[in-house]
Amino acid sequence: MSTELMETQLEELTGFLYVVPVGLMTFTMDGTVRLANPLVAQLLMPLTPGGDLLNAYVALAPLMPDLARRVHDFSATYGVLVDHQRCTAVFDRRQAVLSITVHRIHGGVNLAVIEDVTRLVEQERRLYGDQQRFQAIFDNVRDYAIYIVDLQGKVEEWNQSLQRFGGWRPEDVVGRPFGIFFSPAEQDAARGTTLLANAQQTGSVETEGWQIRRDGARIWTNSVVTALPDSDGSIRGFVVVSRDMSRRKTMEDELRRLATTDPLTGAFNRRHGQATLADAFQANAQRAVDGNAEQPGVLTLDIDHFKAINDRHGHDAGDAALCATVDACHSVLGERGSLVRWGGEEFLIILPSTCPSAATEAAEDLRAAIADVRVPVGDGAFRMTASIGVAVAGCGDNPESLIRRADTALYAAKHGGRNRVVVGN
Amino acid sequence: MAPAFSDTACIAWLEEASAEALDALAYGVIVMTSDGVVVGYNRAEADLSGLAPARVIGRHFFTAVAPCTNNYIVAQRFELEPELDVTVDYVFTLRMAPKPVRLRLLKRLGAPRMYLLVERRQPHVD
Repeated sequence: MSTELMETQLEELTGFLYVVPVGLMTFTMDGTVRLANPLVAQLLMPLTPGGDLLNAYVALAPLMPDLARRVHDFSATYGVLVDHQRCTAVFDRRQAVLSITVHRIHGGVNLAVIEDVTRLVEQERRLYGDQQRFQAIFDNVRDYAIYIVDLQGKVEEWNQSLQRFGGWRPEDVVGRPFGIFFSPAEQDAARGTTLLANAQQTGSVETEGWQIRRDGARIWTNSVVTALPDSDGSIRGFVVVSRDMSRRKTMEDELRRLATTDPLTGAFNRRHGQATLADAFQANAQRAVDGNAEQPGVLTLDIDHFKAINDRHGHDAGDAALCATVDACHSVLGERGSLVRWGGEEFLIILPSTCPSAATEAAEDLRAAIADVRVPVGDGAFRMTASIGVAVAGCGDNPESLIRRADTALYAAKHGGRNRVVVGN
Repeated sequence: MAPAFSDTACIAWLEEASAEALDALAYGVIVMTSDGVVVGYNRAEADLSGLAPARVIGRHFFTAVAPCTNNYIVAQRFELEPELDVTVDYVFTLRMAPKPVRLRLLKRLGAPRMYLLVERRQPHVD
């Protein structure tokens, strides 16, 4: 190799070592520095201004006063004797953290690797601070569950909020799909998956619904699912915040009940009945398009000789008769229709989707059930009957005309001897 | 007549000096623009550092040529102070061996050039 080439290569190597961003320094057992790159001077000169950097123990004394002892105590011919030890130094009113590693590279020569990790430490501190803050939130929120799920919806970590919210223990939830928090029906419908897909598209979705506690109890919740972007912009998971809305739900349900029902009997009030019937007609218009033959129907029901009950047994007995009628109707109707107290002792039963034979059968069931009721009064009890008019919507019917036809049928039932069902034409 | 390392009128001479005149000096001279780019690197400095002027000229001195000076003792003083004439004992890691040096930091208010003079010194006796 020519001398010129060697010089060029040496210069290139020198230039390379000049800009290595890590301090590298070799020193012998007595601390004498053999080689040091510029970063060593950059990092260590501020610690010993005016110093010479000729002895590693002197130069590193402000950071690691016991280095000489540690070097001498290390008896192996090679190996790591100081491993990434972080040392804090203050110069120029600034705190710096240097990470120091010392290797024995062969008998009697040691290599120190010195890195400025001040910014790394600051980042770690911030990260740790964030973790602590989040931990504090997770651990201390009440009425909320906050947790992270991965892209598949599996719960990543347990935290106190899950314990407090639903009684969940780590082994119940970690690694399991967060669908387990929703009520079983929704779990079947893969509700969790749908929520995540929507959150992935729009960034965040909000939903309200039932969730279950570990003990099986249901809680009404509001949940917000937010996609968590990774540093490269891709989504790495989701954060789910669920809030216990049971109290609000109970209150809302109570308000709705108060607004829609008759306080004495618990049947729907007239205003709610009108709205329900209007809804039934609207739904029917759609059904007709779909080719469904069923129609809305109504029954008008009137307790026979109600005035006589009041006169003979008193108004409390009259009220009891009304309540007993409603109870009997509710147990017969189930989900088939809505019972409305239309006024006084007159009730309207709305069958949103029925046919003449089914409506008549329902009316007959109601009549029979009411006739079976014994209303307690004083030491005894009395019986009562009811008359029922039936009408099922035909072409051109509207809610008013339908009720009118049922009323006409009811009138016919009364005149036909009461305790009977008459189907309107 | 070339000025000595500690000559108080040094900067005026340097501003007028030719490259040949700088090369004749016994101590190292690095000439930089006001933002630290090397525009002059004399022979004494090239001999000390082992770097040919061609490798150094046009580069940023404190980050790309002599990172050993990129701290508050040297680089930040050039950066922050409008005028400088201070001498500090320092250590250069020339050819990766620590060499005690004396540095003279020269900067004149509003001038287009800054100068760093480098002279070998004897180590302190510990």
